[in-house]
Amino acid sequence: MHELLSYLPEFANALLVTLGISLAAAWVGLVLGFGLNALRLALPGFGVIYRLYVWLIRGTPFLAQLAVVYFGLPIIGLRLEAVEASILSLALYSGAYFAELFRSAWASVPNGQLEAARVHGISRTLVFWHVQAPQAMAFALPLLGNQVILTIKESAVTSIITVPELTMTAGRIVSTTFSYVLPYALLVLSYWLLTSTVAAVARTLGQRMTRHLRG
Amino acid sequence: MSTLPLLELRGVGKSYGTHRVLSDFDLRVQAGEIVSLIGPSGSGKTTALRCMNFLERYDEGEVWIGGQLLGYSGIGRRESDRDSEAKVDEVRNPVSMVFQQFNLWPHMTVRENVMAPLVLGKRIAKPQARTLADQALARVGLSAKADAYPARLSGGQQQRVGIARALAVKPRLMLLDEPTSALDPELVEEVLQVIRSLADDGMTMVMVTHEMSFAAQISSQVVFMEAGRIVESGAPQPLFNTPETERLRQFLKPWFNRSLTPRTQVTP
Repeated sequence: MHELLSYLPEFANALLVTLGISLAAAWVGLVLGFGLNALRLALPGFGVIYRLYVWLIRGTPFLAQLAVVYFGLPIIGLRLEAVEASILSLALYSGAYFAELFRSAWASVPNGQLEAARVHGISRTLVFWHVQAPQAMAFALPLLGNQVILTIKESAVTSIITVPELTMTAGRIVSTTFSYVLPYALLVLSYWLLTSTVAAVARTLGQRMTRHLRG
Repeated sequence: MSTLPLLELRGVGKSYGTHRVLSDFDLRVQAGEIVSLIGPSGSGKTTALRCMNFLERYDEGEVWIGGQLLGYSGIGRRESDRDSEAKVDEVRNPVSMVFQQFNLWPHMTVRENVMAPLVLGKRIAKPQARTLADQALARVGLSAKADAYPARLSGGQQQRVGIARALAVKPRLMLLDEPTSALDPELVEEVLQVIRSLADDGMTMVMVTHEMSFAAQISSQVVFMEAGRIVESGAPQPLFNTPETERLRQFLKPWFNRSLTPRTQVTP
C-alpha cells in the first residue's frame, strides 16, 4: 500500500500528460482529417495530394514519423520541444486515419440522396452540410471514438523522446525501484481508464445521434 | 404554329465508353402533357429520363427546357462548353423529380424533407416554406405524418412524401422514374392515385413506368424503347391497341394476357 501511494502522484501527473498530448493531437487530427475530406470533395485536383498524404502516413510506423519530426525538422531550422513534436506528429499521424474515416462515412450516404438534393437546386456545399454531414457523422462517431483510443495508445511511443507521459513514467519507476508488477499494473490500468472513458462517451453520443434512423 | 414546348430533346445520345445506352432520342413535351416511357429493362428509359435534368450527362444532341439549352453553352459542343453547376441548376429549375427508391433524407422529418428544396434550394424563408410544405403534404394525404421520420413510414407513404417534395417546389415539369417499382403490390395503388390526381390538375409529367394499364389511361404520349432507341411512339390508344411493330406487340403480349377481357381494349 505504501509503495502504491508513493507512485500515485507521479502517475496522476503522467496520466494528465498522456491525456493532454492525446486529446490535443486527436483534436488537431480530427480537424485535419475533416478538412482533408472536405477539400477532397470540393476540389477535384486535391485527390492526388490527399492520396499521397494518406499513403505516406499509413505506410510508415508512427515511431519513424516521430523521429522525422523531432530529429529531422531541426535540419530545416524548426526545433520543437519534445511535447510539441509529439503532438504535431501524433496529429499528422491520426489525421490520415481520421480523413479516411470521414471519407468512408461520407461515402456511406447513398448517392440517390445526393441526386435528389442536387436536382432540387441544393448546391454541393449545402448538400455537404445538410444531407451528408448529419448522416456521415452519426455513422462515423463510433469509428472516430475508436481512432481516439488508438491515438491515446500510440502516444506511448513518445516516451522514447522523453515526454513524461505514462509509459515513460512507469519505465522510470521500474528502473529506479526494480519493482515491476505494481508500476506496470498501474500503467495498464491508467490506459484502460482513459480508453474506456472515451469509448463510453462515443457510444452515448452515437446512440443519441442515430435514434431516429432506426425507425 | 405550335407553342414552344416545355421540354424538347433532339437526337439525344449517351455512351459509357464504347457502350451506347441511348441513341437519337427525340421528344417534345407541351405543357399539360403526360408522357410515359415504356420498354424492357435496360432499354434506356431511365437514362433518357435522367438526361432530361442532366443527372446523366448526355453527349450527343440537345435538351431544351423552356427554350434554354440544358448543360452546354452551345450546340456544337466541346467539353469546354459544359455549363457550370449553377447554370445547370438555373436551367433545370422548373423541373422536379420523383425517384424509384424515393431518396428521402432519413435524418430529416417528413416536413423537413419537403421543406429542404424550398429552403436550401430556392432560398425561401422558413415560415413560408413550411406553409408550402404542409400544403404539398396535404395534397398527398400525409399531413398527419409531417413530424415523423421516413423510417417510420410504409413504402407507399415514403413515395408520397417523395411526390410532395417534388410538388412543393411548384415545378412546371415533373419527372418520375419508376415511381411504383420499389413498392409492394398492395401499396402501388395509393401512389398511382396521387399521380392520377396530379394529372387531373394538369401537371406536366414524364414518367418511366412498368404499369401498362396506368400508362394507357393517363398518358397523352407513350414512347416505347428498346436498346437505347425509340421503337414506336404516339398516342396511347393506337399504340396499345394496334402496335405497328412486332417488337411492341411482343412486349405488350404478357400484359394483354394478364389483364384478361375488360382491358384488352383501352378506353381512356
